[in-house]
This record gives sequence, C-alpha cells and structure tokens, in this order.
Amino acid sequence: MATARPGWSRRAQYGLFFSFLAVIAGIIVGLISLILSLVAPQTFQTVRGAALDVTGPITSSLHEIIETAEGVFTGAGNYWDAARQNADLKRQNKAMLRRMLEARAIFQENLQLKATLQLRQHERSTIAVGRIVGSSFDSPRRFAILSVGSSDGVRIGMPVRSPDGMVGRIIGAGALASRVLLVSDKANIVPARLLRNGIPVLAQGRGDGTVDVRPLEVGRNPFKPGDIIVSSGTGGLYPPSVPVARVVKLQGDDAIALPLADPATVSFAIVEPPYEPAAMDTGPATPEGY
Amino acid sequence: MVRAALTPPRRIGQGPWRLARYVPAVTVVFASLLAVLPIVSTSGWYPDFGYLVFLSWRLLRADPWPAWWAAPLGFVNDLFTAYPIGFSIALWSATMLALDLIDRRTMWRDYWIEWVVAAVLIAIDEWLQWRLAEAAAGPLPFSHMVPPLIVSICVFPAFAWAISRVDAWRLGR
Repeated sequence: MATARPGWSRRAQYGLFFSFLAVIAGIIVGLISLILSLVAPQTFQTVRGAALDVTGPITSSLHEIIETAEGVFTGAGNYWDAARQNADLKRQNKAMLRRMLEARAIFQENLQLKATLQLRQHERSTIAVGRIVGSSFDSPRRFAILSVGSSDGVRIGMPVRSPDGMVGRIIGAGALASRVLLVSDKANIVPARLLRNGIPVLAQGRGDGTVDVRPLEVGRNPFKPGDIIVSSGTGGLYPPSVPVARVVKLQGDDAIALPLADPATVSFAIVEPPYEPAAMDTGPATPEGY
Repeated sequence: MVRAALTPPRRIGQGPWRLARYVPAVTVVFASLLAVLPIVSTSGWYPDFGYLVFLSWRLLRADPWPAWWAAPLGFVNDLFTAYPIGFSIALWSATMLALDLIDRRTMWRDYWIEWVVAAVLIAIDEWLQWRLAEAAAGPLPFSHMVPPLIVSICVFPAFAWAISRVDAWRLGR
C-alpha cells in the first residue's frame, strides 16, 4: 500500500484496498485485546505464561554466563590488598559475633514474652528460591523476571523477598519462570512502619526505582533521611518485619525512599506463601499488572 | 552516469538472498527478543527496541512486509516485553497506516525529516505507554517518561543505519 494508485490493474487496486482493510482490522483487534488486558488481565495469563517459559530459561542461562564472567574479574580483584582486607574482616567478624550474642538473648526473651502473651507464632516457610534474571526495559511499570515458576509451587500473589529486603509479589507465572511486580512499581502498595518509632506508613512505588512513603496519620512529617521502613504485615499479603526501603529525601508530608533489595544486585529471591492465606482468596485490591 | 561508472562492477551470481523477503520481519522479532537479555533496569530508560527496528524498516522502504504483518509482529513484541497485549498490535498497525498517509503528502524526504517523523512516532509510543500505566496503576508524572524518550530519539539514527546495512546485505548489494 505504498502509492495512491497502483495503475490500471484491477487486481493491484483490489490488493491495495484489502491490505488497507487488513491494517484497519489489525488496529481494531489490537484495541479490543488492549481493553481486555486492562479490564480482565487474566484473559491472556496462559499465553503470557507460555511466553515466559520460552524466554525465562534463555534469560537465566545468559544471566549465569554474565555472572560467571563477572565472578572471574572480581575474584581476581580480591587478591589485591588481601592482607589488609583480611584484618578488616576479622575485626568486623568479632564485632558481629558480639552483636549476634546480644540478638540471641533478645530472641530468647522475645519467645518468652510471646509465650506469656500467647501470640500465635507464624511459620516462616519458603516456597521456592530463585534468581532475578531480567526486568522490563522500557516502561513506566517495574516488573522483574524470576527464574522459578509454577512447577516449583509459585502462584500468583505470593510475596517475594531477598536476604536484603522486600522485592515484590508474583503477578504472572509460567511453568519455568515468573514475573514479579517490584516494590518500586506504582501499583504495588506495601503496608509498613518506621523501624525507629513504629509509626504506620504506606510504601508505594514511583515507577522510577524509588518508593514514596507516606504516614497514615496526618501531621508532622515523621521521616528523617536514613530511616528504615519495614513491612508491618497489615493486609496479610506481605510478611511483617521485612526491611522495605531507606528514606533518602523528604518531600512535603511524604518521603522518597530507595528499596533496600536492589533487584539488579540481589543474589537470591525467596518466594514465600502469603502471610495470611486468606489474603490469597480475596486477591490483592490492585489490578494484576497488565 | 558518473556515479554508475564509479561503482565497482557487480559480480555475477550476486543478488537478493533467497529468504530476503522475510529478513525484515525476522529482525523485528529479534529486536523484540532483546527483552530476554539479563539486564535488570530499575529506571526503565531502555528504548522500545522492537518499535525502533519496525520504524527503521518502514521508513527505509514502503513495503518491507505486507501491511497486515504489523499486527502479528506487534503481538510478539507485547508477549516478550510485558506490555499489555494489544498495545503494540494497535500501535504498529496504526503506524503502517499513518506512514502511508505521510508518504502521500510529503514531496521530498531526507534524513532530518525521517528523524523528525520517527521522533514524533516514538513520542506517541511513550505517551501511550504513560497513559496505559496510569490507567493500570495510578497517576504518574510524565517527567518519568522524558529520559527514555530522549534516549530512544537519540539512538534511532543508529538503528536506522544498522537496518540499512541489513537491507543492503539481504539484497546482495
């Protein structure tokens, strides 16, 4: 369909006309499926899962290769200045051991206190452990690709954390890989509290790798740069007391924070069952990505 | 005449590659598949690779593929890049239509005009993505979209150049 009139050939004229109709049909089909995927995101779940199963393993193996190559270089780098590093590490280790003993004592005390209060202790179980191998490139939405899928027991809605902190929750699962809605996505709202004084806050992503934190109560801005935000467990989806973000800047009544688990550098991501299984049945209030 | 005399004589047996007709579509699918690269981006400043290659082909030639192929190509892009399914189908088909209309209107073309046309279409792409993210997740400031927009517009000439090389290769020139 390049020129306005392809000459006197009837056949060429009809060909042009039908290709025009086909393009219009393409636009209409596209718009209908776009509306479907916005209104009823579950419609395309199986197709999306299949696509994830095709690309997930490729991404995972490419990730392994890059990580091995990086490991060789940083491994060689570690031999420089090894003696001083060793001394530093020994000193840190000693300090850590002291802190650990203190922590163990506090843990014991905690157990006793909980027993006297007859609080129900939640089992922390792990569904699967995977790696974050990829992410959305060009989009105001923040997704990541995780190297475990429904064959490992991963289901939509499960929270994902790493040793450093909260990563996000599962919004799509293929058999071999799954898609994670990161904490920094706009649609992800984590009920949390300030670690320093326990003030309840809400952490909502801003789509650019940072998180917007706002207090539930109106009043003076309770944040200070450097404050740690931990999840509160309210809502039943995310487990409590997992570090979420660190405040870097105050902005009006809110604060801008950086997620503690940087998806680009976390080594492992742990998929956990929802903190209160009942939260799975009602489903999260926000739409399931797209 | 002079230019024809200056070019080296064509070797016998050199000509379009046997599957030359399918090369453009295959390169677009490969560009969409760049989404499998193990890059974890926390800001999302990467360009929409599939759309850039699609635009490069369409601006280079009026008929790199039958017009209706835009819809399946867009579907592949949606599947692999986690856009809402239907977004690239509609946008890419509309792009084919829009560029045909532009082809009828423009009297002459040069690199600058092609870059401006591409920049406008890329801006429409980013703007639509922003509207969709708003519809799905909630209000976002458009300022988040400016860095990826500038990056995409700046790298477009590189894509256009690469595609022109691929075109020369597939036609055996």
